[in-house]
Amino acid sequence: MARFDTLNTAWTVWDNPAPAPEGAVLEYSRELEKFLAEIERRAFRMAQVALRDPDDALDVVQDAMLKLTRNYAARPSPEWRPLFYRILENGIRDMQRRRTVRKRVMTWLPGPKEDPDNEAQDPLENVADSAPAIPERLMQAEAMEHLEESLRALPARQREAFMLRNFEGMDVAETASAMACSEGSVKTHYSRAVHALRAQLGEVW
Amino acid sequence: MSEQDNEAFETRSRALFHDSVEGLDMRIRSRLTRARSAALEAAQQRRFWWSGWKVWTPAAGVTAAGILGVVLWIGSPVGHQSGTLADAQTSFEDLDLVASSDESSTDAIDMLQDDIDFYSFADKATNSGPAA
Repeated sequence: MARFDTLNTAWTVWDNPAPAPEGAVLEYSRELEKFLAEIERRAFRMAQVALRDPDDALDVVQDAMLKLTRNYAARPSPEWRPLFYRILENGIRDMQRRRTVRKRVMTWLPGPKEDPDNEAQDPLENVADSAPAIPERLMQAEAMEHLEESLRALPARQREAFMLRNFEGMDVAETASAMACSEGSVKTHYSRAVHALRAQLGEVW
Repeated sequence: MSEQDNEAFETRSRALFHDSVEGLDMRIRSRLTRARSAALEAAQQRRFWWSGWKVWTPAAGVTAAGILGVVLWIGSPVGHQSGTLADAQTSFEDLDLVASSDESSTDAIDMLQDDIDFYSFADKATNSGPAA
C-alpha cells in the first residue's frame, strides 16, 4: 500500500483514484467475450451429443456461460476453459437427472399440451440452410450421427474424457482439471472410450 | 487395435465433429450469440454493484459510527443522569450561597475591626459609671 508523507496527499489520492482499473475491466470483458465466442459452438455440440435435444443443450451452455462470467471471470484466463467445461458437464448431469425425474413423474400425469405459438418465435428459425446437401456431406452427417449414438452409449466419464481430449483438444492436465480427477484417471477413461467407440463403430466406419 | 488405427480414428472423429460445428444453422448461432451477450451483460451488472463497495462502505461506516455513538450516549451513566444535572447546578448555587454567607461573616468581622475604637469607647463609658 502506498505511503503518504502528509494527510493531505492521502486525501488527494483517495478523492482522485487512478483511472487504470476501468481500462483493465474493459480489456477483461473483451477477453472473456472472445473466449466465449471461440468456445460456444463446440460446447453446444458437445452438450447436444450428450443430451440429444438442441434446446436443452442451449440451456445448459447458456447456464454455463452465466456461471463462468458471474463466478469465475476474475480468475486467470487460462483457467477459464477447464472451469467452463466442468460447469458444462455438471449442467449436463443435472439436466439428465431432471429428465429422469420428469419421465418418472410424467408416467403418472397426462401428457403436456403442445403450444403452437411456441414454434417459430425466432425469425431465423425458418431460414433455409444455404449449404448444399451433397452426398459427401450427407455421408459425413451420417457418420457423425453414428459417432454421437456411440458416445451417448458410453459411461459419462468416458464420454467426457473423449470429447474434451479429442473434440476440444485439451491436454491431459487441462482435462483432469475440467473433470476434477487425476491425470491417470483421464488417460484410463480416454483409452477405454477409444476402444469402446472403435468396437462399436468398427463395422460402420 | 493398433496405435495407428487409434490415431486414424481420433483424427476422423475430430474432423467430423468440427465439420458438424461449422455446419450449425443460423438459428443456433443466433441463440448462442444472444446467450453470450446475456451472460456478459449479467457479469457487468454484477461487477457494477460490487464496484459500489468503494462508495457504500465509507458511508455505511460513518452511519454505523453515528448510530453507535447515539446508542452509547443514551446507555451511558452520563446520559441517564442528564435529568439530575439541574440538581447539581442547584447544589452548586447552594454552595455558592454558603460561601457567600461565609464571606458576609468575614465582612462582619472586618466591620467589627473597623469599629473597634467605638466599642472600646462604649466599654469605657459603661464601666466609668455616670459622669454626672
